[in-house]
Amino acid sequence: MNLLEMNSICKSYRNIGIETKVLQNVTLHIKEGDYVSIIGPSGAGKSTLMAIMGCLAQPTSGEYILDGEEVGKLNDRKLSRVRNEKIGFVFQAFHLLPGVTALENVMLPIVYAKNSQGNAKERARALLAKVGLEHRLHHTPGQLSGGEQQRVTIARSLINDPRIILADEPTGNLDSKNGIQTMQTFDNLVKEGKTIILITHDPAVAQHAGRIISILDGQIASDRNLSYEEQTRPL
Amino acid sequence: MRIFKNLGQALRGLRLNRGNTMLMTLGVMIGIASLTVIVAIGDGIKIKVLDRITSLGFGPESFSVMAGAGRLFFARSQNTTSMTLEDAEDLLALPTVRLVVPRQRKSIQLINKKEFTSTRVYGVTPDWQLARGWEMKDGEFLSETDLDRSKRVIVLGATPAKKLFKDKDPVGKMVRVQNNFYEVIGLLEEKGLTESGYDPDDRALIPLTTSMTRLTHQTYLHSIKVVALKASQVPETMEAVRQILRQNHNLSVLAEDDFRFITPEGIMQRVTESEQALNRMLILVSTVSLLVGGIVIMNILLVSIRERVREIGIRRCFGARRSDITIQFLFESILVSLLGGIMGVALGLGVSFGLERLNIIPTHITMEPFILSFVFCSLIGLIFGIHPARKAAFLSPEESIRSQ
Repeated sequence: MNLLEMNSICKSYRNIGIETKVLQNVTLHIKEGDYVSIIGPSGAGKSTLMAIMGCLAQPTSGEYILDGEEVGKLNDRKLSRVRNEKIGFVFQAFHLLPGVTALENVMLPIVYAKNSQGNAKERARALLAKVGLEHRLHHTPGQLSGGEQQRVTIARSLINDPRIILADEPTGNLDSKNGIQTMQTFDNLVKEGKTIILITHDPAVAQHAGRIISILDGQIASDRNLSYEEQTRPL
Repeated sequence: MRIFKNLGQALRGLRLNRGNTMLMTLGVMIGIASLTVIVAIGDGIKIKVLDRITSLGFGPESFSVMAGAGRLFFARSQNTTSMTLEDAEDLLALPTVRLVVPRQRKSIQLINKKEFTSTRVYGVTPDWQLARGWEMKDGEFLSETDLDRSKRVIVLGATPAKKLFKDKDPVGKMVRVQNNFYEVIGLLEEKGLTESGYDPDDRALIPLTTSMTRLTHQTYLHSIKVVALKASQVPETMEAVRQILRQNHNLSVLAEDDFRFITPEGIMQRVTESEQALNRMLILVSTVSLLVGGIVIMNILLVSIRERVREIGIRRCFGARRSDITIQFLFESILVSLLGGIMGVALGLGVSFGLERLNIIPTHITMEPFILSFVFCSLIGLIFGIHPARKAAFLSPEESIRSQ
């Protein structure tokens, strides 16, 4: 059973009457527990693919099934629910709410959750402890280092226990030490059974995953599973 | 509840964008403050006018019926003979009527030895004093005995008393009217000139019976003053009075009234016409200032949304619906309006109080501006918040998350 299934997805933008095709006939299937990297040069359509995967944009044509639900044609209300319950985002630029404490940032998805189960604050606290920030609960993003901010975003992406974690260039704004630490966090999450999709242009980052899909000019150029030796193993 | 969560997010949004919040609050505050001041001034002026009219002899619950039709205000028709003491008695029987004062009036000379003055002499009943609420400075007012026995006694207003007796105490002295001598039994408290130049102290009062037999030689009345139990009962009382008088005077359905009413409202209408025009202008000005406040909110919210595109994108990524974003921004604008409203009312009350204290302009502080501003502010927040809130909600989450 595929967790994520994209069949001949096309996406085009119309700008001043000129149609730009960003994605053409993208077909890919991802199973639960997969660790997938999507690589490609800038402008290849990675971000658009991620926007569609993350239900932030709708495909122009094609079929997108997430967790058994056809989400390609849902309305805003249902799409928002899918984003809230099934997807956890990690961004290159962190995208934390400024001026709001780490704890409250982690709890943001709960604000929009249909029914918040259990003690949200306790869960947020536990997740921050899990990423090693138990001493930074009441710091605002401005008071945190880049690496710490990225770990807050990871904690935030996990709060509603999503089916997929979508990470868009998660190491792009980090130095190598923090980058490695972030990647280790992802590697550990995979070991716990999470499905992670990494979008990156850095081959070294991509090699953490067990499968690399490369995108070129809006189409899948290659899709291969890495052998055990090729993969960057968690330390 | 989702809506409370949105409210919480709105409060947070306001806190995090303090500068914008302050500017928006200021915009509404000034609008509401001016509205509050204007309402206070309007009420203050109205009360002052009412006071003035009360000093003319009209409380809010009293009115006069003059004999004779026509439009002349205080002038009396010389030859309408239909209004009688029986009318007055019938009117007193009405359930909403507290007091009835039948009156005759004649302008005539009062003489004390070599001093003389012309004044308005009224024939009234002892209830006149109650109806007018006019205190005595010295002596007594007319009594029932004076009335029953048609005694030749007189109560003087301050103006004729001064002219006839200079600084001496007039009580107990005699005054001649035509060929009759009257004993001065009382002196009315001085009221002073009204602002329109009318002198309420230029009068003298004698018993109605004395007036009928010795002064006017008429048995009909010139006017009747009616005091209702409550001010709110004046309209129904007037209607009842009209019915009784028409019936008593045998007027056919087609005939016009042979009497006319003078009400405090009637006078006030004349006095306040210019003030109403002023009020209307002030209301216009304050509406404009409220509108400006609303537009300030709208513009600042629009700018604020540009600054907060990323925040909106982040919220959308983590499950905020369009409606959540709309509601959050609407809450922000309503909260700002209400905050501005409260501060505006406070400022306005302060200014009104100051104006009154410094004798610049009369003001009267009521609950109205509180309620008005609460309603207005909610409306302003709602109306001027809708556009920015919708705009924020319809940003594409994909694009907003990427904007820097």
